[in-house]
Amino acid sequence: MNYNEATLRYFETALGAGVLSGPGTFRGAAGSRAQGTWVQFDVQLNSNVIQAARFLAFGCPHTIAVSAWVAEQAAGQELRAGLPETVQQLSERFAVPVEKRGRLLIVEDAWIAALRGALTHCGATIECSPVAPISQG
Amino acid sequence: MTATAPINRPAPINRPVYLDYAATTPVDPRVAAAMAQCLTAEGEFGNPASASHDYGDAARVLVETARSQVAASVGALAQEVVWTSGATEANNLAIFGVAEYYRESGRHIVTARTEHKAVLDPCRELERRGWRVTYLAPDGGGLIHPDRVAAALQADTVLVSIMHVNNETGIIQDIRRIAAVCAEHGGAWLHVDAAQSAGKRDVDFAHLGADLMSLSAHKAYGPKGVGALLVSRRARGRDAAVQLRALQFGGGQERGLRAGTVATHQVVGMGLAFELAQAALESESERLAALRERLWRGLAPLGGVMRNGDAEHSVPQLLNVSFEGVEGESLLAAVRGRLAVSAGSACTSALQEPSYVLRALGRDDVLSESSLRFGLGRFTREPDIDAAIAVVTQAVSRLRRLSGE
Repeated sequence: MNYNEATLRYFETALGAGVLSGPGTFRGAAGSRAQGTWVQFDVQLNSNVIQAARFLAFGCPHTIAVSAWVAEQAAGQELRAGLPETVQQLSERFAVPVEKRGRLLIVEDAWIAALRGALTHCGATIECSPVAPISQG
Repeated sequence: MTATAPINRPAPINRPVYLDYAATTPVDPRVAAAMAQCLTAEGEFGNPASASHDYGDAARVLVETARSQVAASVGALAQEVVWTSGATEANNLAIFGVAEYYRESGRHIVTARTEHKAVLDPCRELERRGWRVTYLAPDGGGLIHPDRVAAALQADTVLVSIMHVNNETGIIQDIRRIAAVCAEHGGAWLHVDAAQSAGKRDVDFAHLGADLMSLSAHKAYGPKGVGALLVSRRARGRDAAVQLRALQFGGGQERGLRAGTVATHQVVGMGLAFELAQAALESESERLAALRERLWRGLAPLGGVMRNGDAEHSVPQLLNVSFEGVEGESLLAAVRGRLAVSAGSACTSALQEPSYVLRALGRDDVLSESSLRFGLGRFTREPDIDAAIAVVTQAVSRLRRLSGE
């Protein structure tokens, strides 16, 4: 399997790996190790701004790279109901083969699960994913 | 100079440590030199089938010398060696050749779930053509018990195909006892894929009692693109020795079993490679066993590390390990660039599939995927093993941290 430059860089550095704790921290996870992909995000809020985000991931290099990128991009951003980019855009950014795009949905599910608690805390709700449907191969 | 002399060690500059000798081996420089002498106008470039001039005669002498070298290194008669393009063709010739020749005697074949695809795929094709195939399951250590073979034999079984050494786990099957089971049955010929054993451990075709045996040159420091099928001339208590129907026609070479001009340089390379390997066999086995145990002892402290296959029945040059808490594709990606090994998964598409061999041994999908096969060889030294331990330890530890393990 060959990976593009973005995937290799985020897989190899994975700077946002880890967990957060303390007040204003919300956690969400999706997937299962037994099925090969599991992702967890922690987000830490300061009013409605994501102060920090961390991830843990059991999965392929694409899963780890995308999770790392999402955690990196989210920091400093205003809380909103979705990934920084659509799954389609992420799959292009990281050159994710069509057969593996279902794994990005697990990343998205984990991210939304973490946000759900945060948004509820802020009095908002997530009604649906803003992501356009994609083929899962 | 022995086959293990350091002078043959390839320059390691900026290249990953190579521990994938079960996939292929570099051609021994002495073998490459002998092959080169069969290619150009100054050398023996003649067609070995040309009987009307000295060029052909000289090439034919080289081909027959190589045939004798291969035969001598595996306990066979020179007349029993049929050149092929490799073990895959040899497996196909054995399986289809027997099935077609004995189609009126029976249409049942016995093989194992842990065989190489070069055996399983021909068997699947025969199923499509109307044959019945029994795929035996190994025990948890990877062994196919002879009594399971005996139980699987039917009145119309014409062929049993069991590999000598498994390419993923290194497990050695008890071919002699399986051969005895086939002989007692009386109608089942025994084919053995010996691609991973010939040139790497003692193989004695006559003593093992197989009727057909597939060999590969490139697993034993010979060139790719050449192999052989050993076809026994011994009847073993039956009316006649095993017979095959040819799969290709056009010249009648190799006693009509494999038409086509014999590639002199290729078979010369295989002959010398097998001779050199045989000479170094004993010392290499001891050396590689020590290196393999060094590798295992170095990896074990990681914890959550499982050795795949029965260690007591495996070849010294191969170690297959599953790592708990890491995903297989990421593990391979994490070591790539510093270490050349094979994963326990088949990358048949963008999605990796768990190793069917490890699954047959009872490993679940995740552990079957998160395995690495370390294949040691002639140029492997202690620093390579130590480097491999460091690379894998770092990769596994990092991936476990990333997943919160």
